[in-house]
Amino acid sequence: MSSKLSMGETEHRLVRCFSLVFPKLAADEIRAASIETIDEWDSLASVTLVAVLQEEFGVEIDLGDLPELISFDAVLRYLEVRSVPRSAQD
Amino acid sequence: MRLRVRLDALRVREFVNLIDALEILKQPLPEDASHFRGALACGFTPIHLQAFLRAHLRKRLPGKQVDLDIGLFGDLKGNIERLQKLPSDALFVAMEWQDVDSRLGIRTLGGWRTTDLVDIVESASEAIDVLKGSLARASSFRPVYISTPTLPLPPLFTVSPQQASSFELQLRQLIASFASSIAEEPGIRVLSPQLLDELSPLRDRFDVRSEVQTGFPYKLPHASSLAELFAALIQQSAPRKGLITDLDDTLWAGILGEVGPEGISWGLEKHAHLHGIYQQFLESLASAGVLVAVASKNEMQLVNRAFERPDLRISKDNLYPFEVHWSRKSESVRRILQVWNISADAVVFLDDSPMEVAEVKQAFPEMECRVFPKDDYEAFWTLMKQLRQDFGKSTVNDEDLIRAKSIRDAEPLRSVATSSRSLSDFLQSASASIRVQFTRDSRDHRAFELVNKTNQFNLNGKRLTEAAWSAYFDHPDAFLMTVTYEDKFGPLGKIAALLGKPDGRRVQIDFWVMSCRAFSRRVEHQTLRQIFAKFEADEIRFDYQPTPRNGPLQEFFADVLGASQQPGCSLLLSNFSDKTLELFEHVE
Repeated sequence: MSSKLSMGETEHRLVRCFSLVFPKLAADEIRAASIETIDEWDSLASVTLVAVLQEEFGVEIDLGDLPELISFDAVLRYLEVRSVPRSAQD
Repeated sequence: MRLRVRLDALRVREFVNLIDALEILKQPLPEDASHFRGALACGFTPIHLQAFLRAHLRKRLPGKQVDLDIGLFGDLKGNIERLQKLPSDALFVAMEWQDVDSRLGIRTLGGWRTTDLVDIVESASEAIDVLKGSLARASSFRPVYISTPTLPLPPLFTVSPQQASSFELQLRQLIASFASSIAEEPGIRVLSPQLLDELSPLRDRFDVRSEVQTGFPYKLPHASSLAELFAALIQQSAPRKGLITDLDDTLWAGILGEVGPEGISWGLEKHAHLHGIYQQFLESLASAGVLVAVASKNEMQLVNRAFERPDLRISKDNLYPFEVHWSRKSESVRRILQVWNISADAVVFLDDSPMEVAEVKQAFPEMECRVFPKDDYEAFWTLMKQLRQDFGKSTVNDEDLIRAKSIRDAEPLRSVATSSRSLSDFLQSASASIRVQFTRDSRDHRAFELVNKTNQFNLNGKRLTEAAWSAYFDHPDAFLMTVTYEDKFGPLGKIAALLGKPDGRRVQIDFWVMSCRAFSRRVEHQTLRQIFAKFEADEIRFDYQPTPRNGPLQEFFADVLGASQQPGCSLLLSNFSDKTLELFEHVE
């Protein structure tokens, strides 16, 4: 049965996604990451991040939404709103 | 016992997810890890292809830091030319239709009118000619690995999808002609479209949304498959050298001792066609220089009669030696290895009997031993492909064509090789001549092959990638010495290669290999004599390393160097003159 991921679980998985796309970030830096504070976060990194999120959470993300996805918190909110199903990667 | 098939080399599918690829790239490496630097040229944004290629290369080159330089969007030719100027170990080229005419992509709205189609074909033809020149130039600096267009053509032709447009076929013909032409260049390898088709179905390749929104045209599994094959191309293992086959129910259907020479079969009419294909396949391997021998529990007289049948698909001349008797198969294999003078891990053994296969495997654990699947068509098909993987080589050279014959012709030499006096007498009567060549031309594929597959007479066991081989000649004094041998029994071809650098009256030797077919002819003595003479040297210094497999070289060094045989050792001319044996060859 499919149910929504908890906030904590989504956040935990999101940390993993960020650590893959930005491997130089320390774990405690990831939650504070934003496009303004991370030099490596350019348009290509955004596209890679979206591809990784799609794989990890099983959601389809329109690249037109990229302007919204500018920080860890913003991505987390975006995923929450889209009700990531538990079955996505289980 | 089940048929053992190494799927890893044929169809790897290690990972297709981007997350898996990024996980691999995130794995830490030692600070002093060596680097593999490649360049990826394509006309699209390489984003995920770059990540997948780096990850697959990391898997293939364990412990190496992999870096990939990339080019600019929309300029494949320019990227090839820019990237070839950077120092790198390999250039990967992922070509797509829009690289030969931008109207064959969907990001450029250049027009698909019927009147445009003729122009598209013409401009594609011109672009392909230009690309050909760029690739040829790039391949003279480093190895080039290229994929021809992998994506479907867009729906720009006026016919319905069921019908092939003549314009489409013309474009495909241009690409096929281009691919066959560049595949002949020694420094270029073309990725197999057929294997890519197996790994990545055409309908699952093109990501329209990603192409439009980001300029990256591949679905992720396709990008991974393409990267996987590129990485496999660069890291091909040395081909095996010999195949030992059984006869009954393997080379042919039926038990010779029971049904006689007329009763055995390999044709369609007796449902024995797999054996005919197998014969044809062995003939193909033999023609490419693979040694093929027979190990069969049978009567030799009957076997001889069977090989008189004119409808056999393999000539008896291509099989040597024949071990036909009632002793254990492992004993036959041992004798064959002795005649071939190669190690067990360079050989594949095939027999329809699981018990025989197990017995040989127990005696030679390093040998690839397989059951011939006489009743299983699918397994047979897989076996054929696996054997191509085992024995595949990029080029077939002159030495490949004479290898089996030269081993057969060396039979008289093997019988006298153990006695120094009788060996001298034999060599004196052999009317041998050798041709010694010193060159700085790195395009000697045979010499490169020798360095990378010779184990026994090998100075240090080191191997060279194509890029490292080319880079060796960056040193202004580096030279390649090759030795070609012939005697009254026939030619052996180019049998030794040596890489070195003179330094005053000393010569540094970094690589030295000699084919096992040239043993017992004192070619190694003649080689050193020629180096001393060529460079008027007083001393030769060797980058020598004993390895578990270079026993013959160690024995030679023990003879000429005695106690000073150790890593980094050197040989003085005065000492060599005392130790050298009588040499009878005529030297050109």
